Amino acid sequence: MKKDIILDFQHVTKEFPGVVALDDVTVQIERGEIHGLCGENGAGKSTLMKILSGVHAYGTYKGSILYDGEELKLESRAIRRANEAGIAIVYQELTLVSSMTVGENIYLGKEPKENGVINWNKLYSDTQKVLMKYNLDVEPHAIVGNLGVGKQQMVEIAKALAVDANVLILDEPTSALTEAETDQLMEIIRSLKAHGVTCIYISHKLDEFFRISDRMTILRDGKVVNTLPTSELTHEDLVKMMVGREMSKRFPPSKRKPGEVILEVEDLHATDPHDSNRMVLDGVSFDLRRGEILGIAGLMGSGRTELAMTLFGEYGKITEGRITLDGEDIEPSAASSAILKGLSLVPEDRKEHGLILIQSVRRNLSLPNLSQFSSFMRINRLAELQATMEQAKNLDIRMPSLEVPVNTLSGGNQQKVVISKWLMSKPKVLIMDDPCRGVDVGAKFEIYKLMTELAESGVSIIMTSSELEEVLGMCDRVLVMFEGRSNGLLDISEASQERIMALATGIAESEPAK
Amino acid sequence: MKLPNELAKQFRRNIQTYSIIIALLVIWLLFGALSEGAYLSAQNFSNLFRQMTVTSFLAIGMVLVIVTGNIDLSVGKAAGFISVMVAHLQYRVWHELIPGEALLAAILSITIGILLGILWGIIEGYVISYLGIPAFIVTLGGLFIMRGAILIRTEGRTIPANQPYLETIAQGYLPTDVSWIIAGIVIVFLFFNMFRSRRKKREYGFELSSLAMDLSMTLFFSVLVGLYVNVVNKYQGIQLPVMLLLIAAAILAYVSNNTRFGRYAYAIGGNREAARLSGINIRKNVFQVFVLMGFLIGVGGVVLASYVGYGTIAAGEGYELDAIAAAILGGTSPLGGEGTIIGALFGALIMSSLTNGLQIMNVAPGWTQLVKGFVLVLAVYADARLKRNR
Repeated sequence: MKKDIILDFQHVTKEFPGVVALDDVTVQIERGEIHGLCGENGAGKSTLMKILSGVHAYGTYKGSILYDGEELKLESRAIRRANEAGIAIVYQELTLVSSMTVGENIYLGKEPKENGVINWNKLYSDTQKVLMKYNLDVEPHAIVGNLGVGKQQMVEIAKALAVDANVLILDEPTSALTEAETDQLMEIIRSLKAHGVTCIYISHKLDEFFRISDRMTILRDGKVVNTLPTSELTHEDLVKMMVGREMSKRFPPSKRKPGEVILEVEDLHATDPHDSNRMVLDGVSFDLRRGEILGIAGLMGSGRTELAMTLFGEYGKITEGRITLDGEDIEPSAASSAILKGLSLVPEDRKEHGLILIQSVRRNLSLPNLSQFSSFMRINRLAELQATMEQAKNLDIRMPSLEVPVNTLSGGNQQKVVISKWLMSKPKVLIMDDPCRGVDVGAKFEIYKLMTELAESGVSIIMTSSELEEVLGMCDRVLVMFEGRSNGLLDISEASQERIMALATGIAESEPAK
Repeated sequence: MKLPNELAKQFRRNIQTYSIIIALLVIWLLFGALSEGAYLSAQNFSNLFRQMTVTSFLAIGMVLVIVTGNIDLSVGKAAGFISVMVAHLQYRVWHELIPGEALLAAILSITIGILLGILWGIIEGYVISYLGIPAFIVTLGGLFIMRGAILIRTEGRTIPANQPYLETIAQGYLPTDVSWIIAGIVIVFLFFNMFRSRRKKREYGFELSSLAMDLSMTLFFSVLVGLYVNVVNKYQGIQLPVMLLLIAAAILAYVSNNTRFGRYAYAIGGNREAARLSGINIRKNVFQVFVLMGFLIGVGGVVLASYVGYGTIAAGEGYELDAIAAAILGGTSPLGGEGTIIGALFGALIMSSLTNGLQIMNVAPGWTQLVKGFVLVLAVYADARLKRNR
């Protein structure tokens, strides 16, 4: 049976100084299929898609790409040409202008003109048509900045589809979406398929491939490992191919036995720092034991990140309630005081809040810990170098050297830098806000292993997460957040995905869990 | 590793710094040729270095200000105001209070001048850091305030400033033999430092660059020092204000590289949020940076008074722009988070060399300004291209 191939990558090779990003990649994409592309960070997925979408223009790579049988040569203004050819890409990082409307964003750069002036009527009616065609529930005149992340994602997709895309590339579209929004996205992708659009789907959440893709290509170290129908693959197969070794368990085993209570939070209430009428925390109570990993689960918007940041003193204004750390009542008012008391925070967004991207790995690692190697005002450079080298080795941070800027590291290694810098300050309580977001499978396991080792050595960890499997696999107890308040503190033995979801959606109410 | 390879690697890594040095040498040679040697005479060279000192004091302070993501537009007029105050003290106040005590008068004038600078830094720093008003606005307002203050203090007239002792600061020289001794001390220090740093690295078990490499770098800088002293000695010796500037710059460079204060400043400019979440007290650090700037404004103002010999109405006019240009030419990023003290010195030297060269060629001041602006934009463009192709 002759297959209808819409895209044929033939021996594509792309090199950057010092790195071979793609090595003789040959893959065929069938028309109208949903083709999954998976691989660790650095495996080459993004690079391959950047070539297809025109970010890397023709001539910067070897090999060829046949689009509908003809070679695709995107030369000058490559991205625009790719769009004109019907290839569109939706990136992980949203590329919308938050102060503009949905319609303005969708037609940004392609506004319909009449006599040199923008034809707004046509713009909005075209917007309405695109939204209706693909069943996207968004108002054309809504200001993008006021929309939730899920709807913003839909605007991104509409933007891609407005160019009448034949091929839609989705690069990790669900990292910022809730479960409900992810379901909606899956529906939209299926309806796209019904309209004849070919989709290439990239994700770190392997379960998504099984939900939606017809076939999959696994990349490792720039090479194609295999291309197979999804029905012939299992989760373990994927991981094995991505990582190249057996990974018997997703989560490391642990022999830890949590000790006495080290942190108590009683009936915490806090308001938005910019709007004292808005409660972000509306009654949170829990306790944390020494050497325990406590998971915080809940839907997006339930207050998980707000809780993490408020405990660290860097978000909410506390109006009621008490926080007791090691027997001492603390009122965290700023990061600096929280750190002194033994709290550390690995923030949710490592690029915005966790790292100084242009600075070297060494400087990022030592920043909160400078007092450890300085006397009076002077920093002992060599002591700093030694300490940071040791940390980097302990955490197996993959980098050419300590002096390279952290923005050259992969997502997983960047996250390791953030975690290491806090470990150096030897915290009593480490708060980790979605630590494995956007981190590939291999690095995830290393981070999990690190967390269990830390817990075994007596550090208490609070981990917020949006992946229920992660929470169930890693934590001793789970705190479920719902609409800003704590709705259940479950021991792991009584926790299940269903029970947590019930509490997270407010269907069930918590019982006292102690 | 073979020496030429190592040199090439060192060059590529610090290409920004080395390209500034090369640009400087090109300018010197160019004007030297165009002026048939007059440009490269000992006297002109000595003057060239002296001319840049006031702006340089402002420029090195400006580096840290810009690094934290702020700006200070008031430095020119503030330094001007301090020069006017110093002149006022010298000409009117001490005559009445302590007649005949010229040395004491000079010392008091200098001290008060510097204190006034620090006070200005405290005021600006407080309003910017603790009241949260953007630096651009605060320092712009400061510029207008200082302009007014100068007019008020001078009552529209020029105030003579100089007496023998104050004069020395900007117009004095270290005698030639002292100059040679200082050159010797610096060279010995350079070698001593190199060996000490190698020893320490070995202690900690770090990789060392080859001895040949380290020796040739140290030798190179020693030769530069020697050459410099040789040239200025042919005129009158090391210029005193340059000496002061180099000491200030060395201290400031040390502070920005080797103290927590310095690290925090770069962190704040690099990523403010990440710096905050790392426990850095941003308000305190920015406040300190402005106080430091104030101190340098004070020093600049005193040197200005001594250099010009008068407190004039136009004192310091436009100096802030020269200081900013010097910092940026020297590699400070206008977005914050990057920049070096030594870069700013070279930036100031480049601008001073250009201005001086055009003056020697009898080019009209209008054209000089034109060239300066053009060179600044060209230099930043070249720098951006270099960075992109790294």
